[in-house]
Amino acid sequence: MKTSKPKLVIVGNGMVGHHFVEQLCEQQLSQHYDVAVYGAEKIAAYDRVQLSKYFASGSAEELMLTTQADYEAKGVELHLGQQVSHIDTANKRLTVNGQQTQYDKLVLATGSYPFVPPIKGNDRRDCMVYRTIEDLEAIEQAALNASSGVVIGGGLLGLEAANALSALGLETHVVEFAPQLMSVQLNDKGGELLKQKIQALGLGVHLSKATEEIVDGESAQHRLNFSDGSFLETDMIVFSAGIRPQDTLARSSDISVGERGGIVIDDNCQTSAKDVYAIGECALWQQKIFGLVAPGYQMAKVALSQIAQQMPERVQAPLTFTGADMSTKLKLLGVDVASIGESRGFAGAQYVELSDLQAGVYKKLWLDETGLYLRGAVLVGNVDEYSHLLSQYLSGDALEEPAVTLLLTDESAPLTLKDNAIVCSCHQVTKADIVEQVIAGNHQLAEIKSCTKAASGCGGCSALVQQIIDDTMQAQGLDTESGICCHFEHDRQALFHLCQVENIHDFEHLYQQHAKANASPLGLGCDICKPVAASIFATLENQYVLNEKHVALQDSNDAYLGNLQKDGSYSVVPRIAAGEITPDKLIAMGQVAKRYDLYTKITGGQRIDMFGAQLADLPAIWSELIAHGFETGHAYGKSLRTVKSCVGNTWCRYGVQDSMGLAIALEHRYKGLRSPHKIKFAVSGCTRECAEAQSKDIGVIATEKGWNLFVGGNGGMRPRHGDLFATDLSTEQLVLYIDRILMFYSKTAARLQRTSVWMESLAGGLEYLQSVIIDDALGVNHALELQMDKVVANYQCEWKTSLEDKVFLQRFSEFVNPENAPASTKKQYQYQREQKFPIASDVQTFTEINRSGSGAGDIAITLLDEEEVLV
Amino acid sequence: MSWVNICEESLLPARRGVAAWVAGRAVAVFNLGEAGIFAIDNIDPATGVSVLSRGLLCELNNELYVASPIHKQHYSLTTGKCLENESLSVDVFEVKCQSGKVLARALAQGGVLR
Repeated sequence: MKTSKPKLVIVGNGMVGHHFVEQLCEQQLSQHYDVAVYGAEKIAAYDRVQLSKYFASGSAEELMLTTQADYEAKGVELHLGQQVSHIDTANKRLTVNGQQTQYDKLVLATGSYPFVPPIKGNDRRDCMVYRTIEDLEAIEQAALNASSGVVIGGGLLGLEAANALSALGLETHVVEFAPQLMSVQLNDKGGELLKQKIQALGLGVHLSKATEEIVDGESAQHRLNFSDGSFLETDMIVFSAGIRPQDTLARSSDISVGERGGIVIDDNCQTSAKDVYAIGECALWQQKIFGLVAPGYQMAKVALSQIAQQMPERVQAPLTFTGADMSTKLKLLGVDVASIGESRGFAGAQYVELSDLQAGVYKKLWLDETGLYLRGAVLVGNVDEYSHLLSQYLSGDALEEPAVTLLLTDESAPLTLKDNAIVCSCHQVTKADIVEQVIAGNHQLAEIKSCTKAASGCGGCSALVQQIIDDTMQAQGLDTESGICCHFEHDRQALFHLCQVENIHDFEHLYQQHAKANASPLGLGCDICKPVAASIFATLENQYVLNEKHVALQDSNDAYLGNLQKDGSYSVVPRIAAGEITPDKLIAMGQVAKRYDLYTKITGGQRIDMFGAQLADLPAIWSELIAHGFETGHAYGKSLRTVKSCVGNTWCRYGVQDSMGLAIALEHRYKGLRSPHKIKFAVSGCTRECAEAQSKDIGVIATEKGWNLFVGGNGGMRPRHGDLFATDLSTEQLVLYIDRILMFYSKTAARLQRTSVWMESLAGGLEYLQSVIIDDALGVNHALELQMDKVVANYQCEWKTSLEDKVFLQRFSEFVNPENAPASTKKQYQYQREQKFPIASDVQTFTEINRSGSGAGDIAITLLDEEEVLV
Repeated sequence: MSWVNICEESLLPARRGVAAWVAGRAVAVFNLGEAGIFAIDNIDPATGVSVLSRGLLCELNNELYVASPIHKQHYSLTTGKCLENESLSVDVFEVKCQSGKVLARALAQGGVLR
């Protein structure tokens, strides 16, 4: 008999509701429930914290946290644009669009809505709010016909909205009822400095203004009449006067709500109704609403642990919600602002205040009555001390030195965070969590991000996390990024720079001039610094890699222009740009493979590898291939491998651009570029993405208007989707950006660092890279382009060059005295599936793989041919 | 064991390895110029494959090594010991140059000639 799983329903697909589902799936609890999510908005969860980025990129794509397809893949039903209108808590039923549906457990994550003050005329045309992507689209639309805009509300969100209006080119004003800006977080003097800074940016700030009515204006669409008799005219109005918990559904379903709104929850995030939980901004805990994302995530974890508790095999202790720290650090209209704890002070408090109007900095620390404990802080204009102060505040420890020293910290001084200090507030990661992982061997920021989740939320703590990694490694006596090996104290980037600036083209000079002072005079180097130097020389000059100056520096594969296999033989990989190959060339390859008895396989990069070539046969194999029009595929190099492509609009009914043509052109442009690690590209001819471009270092996806460029994707051990770098590019623009990105990567990446990890290790990440490549923030683009042009101009097929060089060919007569060889030295191979394999390999040949009838998961394997044919 | 003539000295490229047959054994010979010529087994004991002559030469802690091109273990050119794994080692051969010729012979553990 089929027993159906209990049904878990989540109402709301905002950041917190989505986080709940993510945790559910991550902890593999989703398999115990049928999970359904109802979202009122028409699109899946997106990053509301970064909402104003919408105006920077002009699209919601970057903000998306997930997609309908992601949910499908997780086996979670996602119903978007669906309002849940009633909960029958007695019979555990929901009404959605008039239909009834059952639940066993229910989680309310309905969020909040913007409060619009009851001002006469607040429903006039172009009076809007700022919360959803739909709101932003409406604001963008209205701004087209407006020259001025007013934001009502001078709090955190109001200033963000003002930033957006200003970015849309409107003359912008902020109207605030209170006598200061950000009256929840800042004190009067902090607010005053913020006001001055915002006014200096050309925005109007109007404090202590109560708007009485909105009427027709004379010079603009609206006029705001204030209670003091003054007025302000504007074309559009955005209300941002605070948020209110979205508790309508709970109210109408007789679930307890607070006097001033909010669904009442206990420490378990449980509401007054059995099996109904509430999390995020809609929830009221101890008369408090938490309007930040971090406490919402915590509630999601708590509710989940409580639900999981009721499953029989769970042994983990349930979590409870114990409140959350509301300290924040942010940049508003380009002004750094931070508040910690009781940032507005309290009766009997002692304080330390620093006000430097000349430098535009205001800082105030609030201490308890004894002056020994930090209770709060306000920072405006400069927030360097935020991490120190927050750590001190959260630790609850007494100050060891006079409080004023907290404001005089030297940035370069070692960090004195306590072990229990929360470094990443989005994911509640402490310093101790990070230190533990560093000691376990995770030394890269990217690794720490993936195993602790620190810095993977808003990313604000990345610099701090990096510092903790460095400090921990130093404490362990490990070298941090200082020096690639025991011969050089420079990292790869520094060596690249030195070689470029000082025109160094050989290892001898590099070693003489830049090796460590105590490095041996022999100057031999090692298997780390030599290949790095070879790669740098190749990126800078793109000379023949096996010339006399460089040949001794090349690693196993580069040294013989082939990929060394486990039996000492090599694979041969000619370039088949974008996987396009003529029948004649296919036949030629087949004939070569047959003549030299090579194992052949079509690879994931859409080309054909031929394995088992003996060192001595490589020159003959390559001269035949070259005679048939092939060239080297650089499979042996840390360089461009392949540009994978779908067939594109030349054949495909759905294609919108010629992806094949572009892929071939890109492969020919960048072939031969030596880089810190291998580089893979892909081009898809439409949004169906058959070429899987988002999993490549450089991915290009055709759009109706041009090409979308993705950077930093990876398959392999740690898969990563590429970041959307730019949209709707012309082909010329696309190539220009790729030129710059690849050369910037080649210059700045660490040794053997793929673009995915490089991207994550760049302080400032994608945005920083965009500012360098698109806006030329470092002023290096011209030099990067020249460098790429040089590499492209100096391209050569290394096998063609090699075959013309007698000295080079000597390398392939492996033994200097072949006349002394013992009688039998031929390598032995076995034959399976009509091809050869090294004799030491265990080749498995399966006829069929059956699932046996009863035992779940048992797999029966039948060997087809156990007879091994030896040669 | 007696000295075996391998090849002309001019055939040994600087700072690189070549393979040679010495009394039926594959040997990797490395020419380090002023620092000398060194020879060890060509077979990588970690994999049993005859490739050490194709490895990169390294100087680590005042000792000369070759890094196996297969999995990068380092073998000392003077003692044959593996830096990463004490249980692995290769035999070391004695090398000398005589009137433009390179000669080699096997050297037993502890320096006693076989």
